Amino acid sequence: MKKTLIAAALLGASTSAMAVAPGGPGCGWGNMLFEGKSGLPMHLLATIVNGTSGNATFGMTTGTNGCDTNGSLTYSGQSLLGMTGVMEEVAQDMATGEGEALTALSVSMGIETGDRARFNAVMHENFAVIFPHQDVTAEEVMASITDVMKQDESLSKYLA
Amino acid sequence: MRTGLLCVLLCWIVPALAANSLPELANSPRWQALMHINPGATLRDRGRSYIDDDSYFLADNGKQDPLAELTATVAALEPAAAPARCRFPARYRFLAEHLDWQHASPFGHCEAYSEWRSAVQASRVVLVFPAAYLNSPSSMFGHTLLRLDQGKDSAVWLSWAVNFGAVSTGADNSLFYIYRGLAGGYPGRFALVPYVQKIQEYSHMENRDMWEYTLDLDQQEIDWLIEHLWELKDINFDYYFFDENCSFRLLELVEVARPDSRLLTELRFAEVPVNTIRALDERGLVSGRHYRPSKAVELDNLRRSMTPAQQVLARRLADAPALLESDDFQRAAPRDQALMVTTAYRYLRLQNRKGARDPKVAKDSFTLLTKMNQLPPVDVPVTENPEPPESGHGTQMLALSGGQRDGEWDFGELSYRLTYHNLLDNGYGFLRGAQIEGMGLTLRSTESGDPKLEALDVVSIRSLAPRNRFSKPLSWYVEGGLERAWAGRRRLVRFVQGGAGGSWAIGNWQPYLLTSLRMENNSEFDTFLTPGAGLDAGLLYQRGNWQWQVGSVGHYFTNDTYRHTSELAVQWAFARQHGLRASLSREGWRGDGVNEFKLQWRWYFD
Repeated sequence: MKKTLIAAALLGASTSAMAVAPGGPGCGWGNMLFEGKSGLPMHLLATIVNGTSGNATFGMTTGTNGCDTNGSLTYSGQSLLGMTGVMEEVAQDMATGEGEALTALSVSMGIETGDRARFNAVMHENFAVIFPHQDVTAEEVMASITDVMKQDESLSKYLA
Repeated sequence: MRTGLLCVLLCWIVPALAANSLPELANSPRWQALMHINPGATLRDRGRSYIDDDSYFLADNGKQDPLAELTATVAALEPAAAPARCRFPARYRFLAEHLDWQHASPFGHCEAYSEWRSAVQASRVVLVFPAAYLNSPSSMFGHTLLRLDQGKDSAVWLSWAVNFGAVSTGADNSLFYIYRGLAGGYPGRFALVPYVQKIQEYSHMENRDMWEYTLDLDQQEIDWLIEHLWELKDINFDYYFFDENCSFRLLELVEVARPDSRLLTELRFAEVPVNTIRALDERGLVSGRHYRPSKAVELDNLRRSMTPAQQVLARRLADAPALLESDDFQRAAPRDQALMVTTAYRYLRLQNRKGARDPKVAKDSFTLLTKMNQLPPVDVPVTENPEPPESGHGTQMLALSGGQRDGEWDFGELSYRLTYHNLLDNGYGFLRGAQIEGMGLTLRSTESGDPKLEALDVVSIRSLAPRNRFSKPLSWYVEGGLERAWAGRRRLVRFVQGGAGGSWAIGNWQPYLLTSLRMENNSEFDTFLTPGAGLDAGLLYQRGNWQWQVGSVGHYFTNDTYRHTSELAVQWAFARQHGLRASLSREGWRGDGVNEFKLQWRWYFD
């Protein structure tokens, strides 16, 4: 139960979370699908010393990226879906019905092993509902995922 | 009754014994590992701690004196609710075990640590090796990091990555950055980041295949590692590119988990990441291996599963998704349609992964993705028999050669190369078309004279990345050092040269054509530095254990000198660590030239 709540808070399923983007601004909820990854600290020379940038995290997000640290299911308060590049991978996995990104999403939502195939199938069938156009944001995607889950007999229990 | 007595005796004796043996405890492998004492693995700081940060030590001379640090730690951690416990949970655990401390909820007052610890849990530790990729020389040795998996299922996107790297402000300019990275000017730190970010970086952005090795650590050992990791938060180590680098530090972490693993007992100069895997493997610490192809490899596998006509259409779809309505596309079977759309989509994403979001690309991507959703899913063809990097040849090399020059005099040669791989070396486990060599030395002796320096290769990097319909990389090379060349007579010249061009793969054949610029210094030419320009072209052919190359490189210098070298060479890799190479070459210059034949036995080690 607690896990579901945390998942809901993190992934934006609760009603209060709809009003205020969970985690606050800066958590990537405004990210659109196919967001460029130019923000990643990738430049040729950084690889030579495998450098980490000055404000390298240590799994603690307090004060480093503006996200709340309430709940710590996925990466201490960073929303998985809002992370750079992740939504695109989730979209691709949903389009085809399986993949590591989709598995990670279902695990982070507390979905039991036995229901994961069902989760994948429902996401695959509802791809067009969850991703209605290319300008959809992470927050909207999460809201649609929960809507779709609500209408499914075996998945709705994860939103209770 | 007897067990009861034994227990009483033990409970009474053990603490007494332990209390008397602080010096012994200070020498125990675990404490030495927690202190990061250098047992002789590198030349700097032998017998002292690698940690270069006063805040890690409670005693003034803690860096040099593990016993003083142990004594200070006992004093700091023993009192109830001691604040220092929150910083040193692994040290506390070590002392509690050996000194029989029985505190109820010893970390009850440590809010930040407890929160972190509950978020960072692992039941499996995996060593990750993002392999080299073409077109980035800095990556050519690869990198290593650790992954902490919460569960044993496939949700590795939720795992943590433990990365050791130099901390830089990013404000320095590039050359300075390299220099300081090599010379130890940056502190190195451990960072704990979401593994999904590492997948994004390596597999999605840099085209690096990732090899993942499950480490055979039990839950206890894993907990040691995680608790110690907390102690290293914001703690500075020295960072040296050649030895005290990412790979080396990971060995220190594994030492904390399993102090009797003896990973650091040998001298480890120039710790190449692949040798870290070998070291762990040799000590039985690797229990599983998984290959994660990069997005570029997956796209290439998709490309190769299509007919040329399908490739053309897929490529055009990426530019114009409207072609989904074309007759050519509509006529194809659904499976083939799916293959083409998937390839087009993946190509489009790969092309646009680095830039800012572009509305047209986003719209096209979405159109293709929606079509993918409506077609049967495509299984991306897996790479057959991917070659594990640790199965490749050793990184150092010794070679003996004999040959004949100009049909007149015989010579013998002894060569040594510090690192790493030559295009003709046994390619198993190495990236095809990539060459990186550093510090190679060749001595040649003839019947008539003493051994003389034949060549000193400081560095030689070659990246021959094949171009195809979906990928148009640049091929390039850069090298420098000392070699024998014709300038009035055969003499030792100092040079730097490099160039760029293209390369293509046709079955096992790989032709390449590069422009070449050369700067040379020798005692014959009038100017101190003489520039020359020319071409470097050739053909590689690989079949089984045989690697062939025929090629020619020529330069025309500003002082009207002309010179070229052509060579036909073949290497037979008859064993993992041994190769036989034969070469026939001709050095030519205006009006004349000499031929040379050479047979070489190459032995790879370490």
